Amino acid sequence: MLRHIFRRLLLAIPTLLVVVTIIFLVVRVIPGNPAVAALGEYASQDAVNKLEQQLGLDKPKWVQYVDYMNALAHGDLGKSMINRRPAIDQIKFVLPYTLELTAAAILIALILGIPTGVLTAVKRNTWVDYTGRVFSLAGLSAPSFYVGLLFIYFFAARLGWFPAIGAGDFHHLGKNLQTLVLPAITLGLIETAYIARMTRSVMLGVLSEDYVRTARAKGLAERIVLSQHAIRAALIPIVSLVGIFTISLIGNSVLVETVFARPGLGKLMVGAANQRDYTMLQAVMVVYALIIIVINIVVDIIYTVVDPRVRYD
Amino acid sequence: MQERKIEELVREASRKGLSRRQLIQRAAVLGISAPALTVAMTKMAPAALAQDRPTLRIAQNAADLASLDPHYAAGTQDRALVDMVFNGLVRFKPGDSTQIEPDLATAVPEPSDQGGKQVWTFTLRDNVQVHKTGKSDAYTLTADDVVFSFKKAADENTSAYAGDYQGITVAKVDDKTVTFTLDNPLSPTLFLPKVANYSGGYVVPQKAYEALGADAFKTAPAGTGPFKFDSYTPQNSVALVANDDYFRGQPKLAGIDYRYIEESSSRESALLSGDIDVINGLPEGQWVDKMNKSDGVKADVFGVGEAIWLEINVTAKPFDDAKVRQAIALALSRENHVALFGAPVGETIYSVVPAQLMPGGLTEEQAKKAGVIYEQNIDQAKQLLAEAGVKDGFEIKLVTSQMDDYRRNYEVLQDELGKIGLKIDLQVVQHAAMHELIRKGTNPLVIYVAFRPTADTYLTQFFTTEGGNTNFAHYSAIDDAVAKARTTTDADEQAKLWQDANTQILKDYAAYPFLIKNLVYARSNKVDYGHELKSIVQLYPGIDETTSISS
Amino acid sequence: MAGTANPTAASFEAGAHDNGGASEIKLVSQRQRAWRTFRSNRTAVIGLGMVVAIVLVGVFAPLIAPYAPNEQSTINRLAQPSASHWLGRDDYGRDILSRVIYGTRVALLVGILSVLLGGVFGTAIGVIAGYFRGKLDTVLMRLVDILLSFPDLITGLLVMAVLGAGLPKLIIAIALTITPRFARIAYGPTLAIKEKEFVEAAKALGQNNRRILTRHILPNVSGELIVLASLWTASAIRLEASLSFIGLGVKPPTATWGQMIRDGVTYLTDHPWFSLAPGIALLITVFAFNLVGDGLRDVLDPRSRS
Repeated sequence: MLRHIFRRLLLAIPTLLVVVTIIFLVVRVIPGNPAVAALGEYASQDAVNKLEQQLGLDKPKWVQYVDYMNALAHGDLGKSMINRRPAIDQIKFVLPYTLELTAAAILIALILGIPTGVLTAVKRNTWVDYTGRVFSLAGLSAPSFYVGLLFIYFFAARLGWFPAIGAGDFHHLGKNLQTLVLPAITLGLIETAYIARMTRSVMLGVLSEDYVRTARAKGLAERIVLSQHAIRAALIPIVSLVGIFTISLIGNSVLVETVFARPGLGKLMVGAANQRDYTMLQAVMVVYALIIIVINIVVDIIYTVVDPRVRYD
Repeated sequence: MQERKIEELVREASRKGLSRRQLIQRAAVLGISAPALTVAMTKMAPAALAQDRPTLRIAQNAADLASLDPHYAAGTQDRALVDMVFNGLVRFKPGDSTQIEPDLATAVPEPSDQGGKQVWTFTLRDNVQVHKTGKSDAYTLTADDVVFSFKKAADENTSAYAGDYQGITVAKVDDKTVTFTLDNPLSPTLFLPKVANYSGGYVVPQKAYEALGADAFKTAPAGTGPFKFDSYTPQNSVALVANDDYFRGQPKLAGIDYRYIEESSSRESALLSGDIDVINGLPEGQWVDKMNKSDGVKADVFGVGEAIWLEINVTAKPFDDAKVRQAIALALSRENHVALFGAPVGETIYSVVPAQLMPGGLTEEQAKKAGVIYEQNIDQAKQLLAEAGVKDGFEIKLVTSQMDDYRRNYEVLQDELGKIGLKIDLQVVQHAAMHELIRKGTNPLVIYVAFRPTADTYLTQFFTTEGGNTNFAHYSAIDDAVAKARTTTDADEQAKLWQDANTQILKDYAAYPFLIKNLVYARSNKVDYGHELKSIVQLYPGIDETTSISS
Repeated sequence: MAGTANPTAASFEAGAHDNGGASEIKLVSQRQRAWRTFRSNRTAVIGLGMVVAIVLVGVFAPLIAPYAPNEQSTINRLAQPSASHWLGRDDYGRDILSRVIYGTRVALLVGILSVLLGGVFGTAIGVIAGYFRGKLDTVLMRLVDILLSFPDLITGLLVMAVLGAGLPKLIIAIALTITPRFARIAYGPTLAIKEKEFVEAAKALGQNNRRILTRHILPNVSGELIVLASLWTASAIRLEASLSFIGLGVKPPTATWGQMIRDGVTYLTDHPWFSLAPGIALLITVFAFNLVGDGLRDVLDPRSRS
């Protein structure tokens, strides 16, 4: 297993290099540059040129690339081109918020999604099935910023149950969790649909399997059949889905972060792209790619736990 | 033991802006009685006692800060924050930017003539304390700081506004006196904004700046203003605390919790839920009405407004033909654009320099007299196009920013020009990309949204050869007139020259002015800014030592 | 990666994979049987009916819409619903109902084309990599990993920034985010199925790779993919809305549901229909595709037949 992990990490290095190179090139090709973004529309062309010089953007692109890769090899992710703070500090600051939000969202998706999936499969083609599906699809098709703003309006502005915006710091856990509820539900609802669909689909398959039929025929209580056989079988694809979601949530929670005014990796990434903060965007992409690699390895490990067959591969 | 508990509680209360009653309630939970609380609080240091003062929570329309070095601050979100931390030698009167009054200087000086050159002499106040920082102590501001700051502002390596300070020599006379010697004389209208609390005019204290370093200063500044920088949480907030040594007196607020909330609906909900006291609002009349109907909140509409106008490249084919430009002018309707914002947020303007805000602009009457109002006339516009030989119309490729102010006006333009057969292929790009692209000349028609402090800046930047790549019209007919107006020291004569230049621009159909978009902020009823809200160049309601929140 | 494989898929196809001509005949009858299965699924038929209706709305939008979708009247912006404008007017004074109707076109194009494009390429990559293994596998799946290393919004943002705005580019951008997902999902089952007896048998009978891929592998991985494709249709349309949220999407003044939801959300409290109407249209469309997806899945995967 350790060897497997090591091999995966080693294999990830070229991927990482390609990702960084792509980002490096693409951001420099697209219109807009950090000097313009940093100085605003009032600044003269002279001022823009001066700042470009200070940021090293006047050098040939390959020189910039070599410099950057050299620094990266030494573990230096560089400084933001806009506010001149070390990129790594800002990433370290936002990462806990992103991880917290992602974990909470997935938890909510599982709590809502698995029972919905099981229920809609067992009660297939009844009103329970249709209602469950309509609701989970509503969650899937509603853009997260829309749902988020609705939540803020009703649960914060109208009812006052939760804070409208912000993220509590980690020293005040109560406050922190309070601010987590609405964004986590907003984000979780999208993935709920996927989990419910996947669970339903797998359950339908499992329910028609011989061993489940046998178990039923033997008179085992429905609940035991479901929990022991069917749900266990459904776990396998769900683990892989959760892996995919974790990755996609970390990168795509930007809209929810924006709406709830929370710090986060997604927001940092889109903000950097919008401000053409080259170094910051590159740094975030490096970290993001690393996170993906780690998650994929973790998913692999979980597989071997959930599905013993994987070991024979 | 209990005292420490109380002190912690009080600090927390100050951070969160809790009222005294809430504080007493919280103390009760911890088993501290109200009298015990009062006794303990009287023993505490005066700074901690500032507890009765609430913290003002204000939400700005931005994802994050860009730079809090005042000589780089460009976005509204940075300009507002910088204004609470720094001072100028003179200042725009709080709430009314049409008037100038002393700030760090003891008086607004008159210029004198020394050896054929214009000299402005400023005497500094005695009691100005520079904020203490993590790396430097508090100290009394001297002429050295002022000279340092203006040299920094004039240096392209340390300032985005260096261009405004060329031809000006700053010198120290003694610890309390500085002089500005000008190569070419300027009228007070043009000179005073350069040394006021705006852009390069903010005084950056030398020792604090040097101790912190240029990079760190961008996210942790120190000045002389009513509030001191305390902390910055990226993408989230900046905390300021009251500067109790402020030369105008102790602020009525304990501090500022300055939040970055990009989404307008989120800001609105946060205001309504009581999470925030002041928000940057939606610049629309209908929104203002809606907020004013809500309980406990009030929306304010005030200047300065950003001008929004259309500029036409007079050298690009087929717009080099004045008939085509005239046709465009006749296809447009100011009302369509003003209606996007609605009264009182949108106000019609008749020259690019807004007459409402500064001398040099054309009022409706003056524009009418000069014959440069150009009422919409589709038939005549079509006929002009036919005369110009572009009867069948043509396609124009334009880029716009995704920001509402730009996108909406471009979309209305698209609709208007569509009616005379000009098809606009409109591409939405990211804001910074648009600014770069239009400076490279991608758009023969440019809609621009900007505030500039003087008519000279508006005209020079956007309509003279000197404006360089922001002269989107590639216009050169008023170069001399603007240069002449700049050195004219008689205010009336100067204003007349600017008005003539504005008229000329319109007669040549190099531009079509739409409107000014006023500022919209909403606040809890309890917030009192401490001054009227007429016009404020820093683009926010102006928060200083007089601002208060009643409980 | 046996985990994602379809444990009973083998039994399904086993009967249908004999030699040449006989299987052609069987295929036809199989198709008929499939249609019969689909038809017997009442909800799937309803879904199909809805999809057809939605397509018709898109095609005949000019006949159905009461107003031209781009006709502005800023003086009347944000007018409340009335007898003449059933859903009111938007922030440019345009008729919201007409724009929702016209928005069907972009939604269908984005939803169908980007998923189709991403699905075809992604599945091909996944199946080919899984089937041939070796260097090709390494290269292809590395490519997939690289694409997956970019969050959807960043991919969209960068692609749009490089190519410029507009509907075709939007579709490409969204397809690019979907491609690696399809590849990943198709890859695992391919690995598993490849080892099954019937594939071995087909190889032994001398069938060429193309035939094995299209006749044996593809049908076995497609069930899962079709269900997911119907969900990704929703994601695609939603991504259009998300890109609109950060200001990038189709060229104005084209009506799209995503852009309408984005613009309307600002006026959520006093003009709810502005964002709700395109939202409901989106939900109905997604639901219809989903019902069809479920029906297809039942056809392709006999396990769930009741």
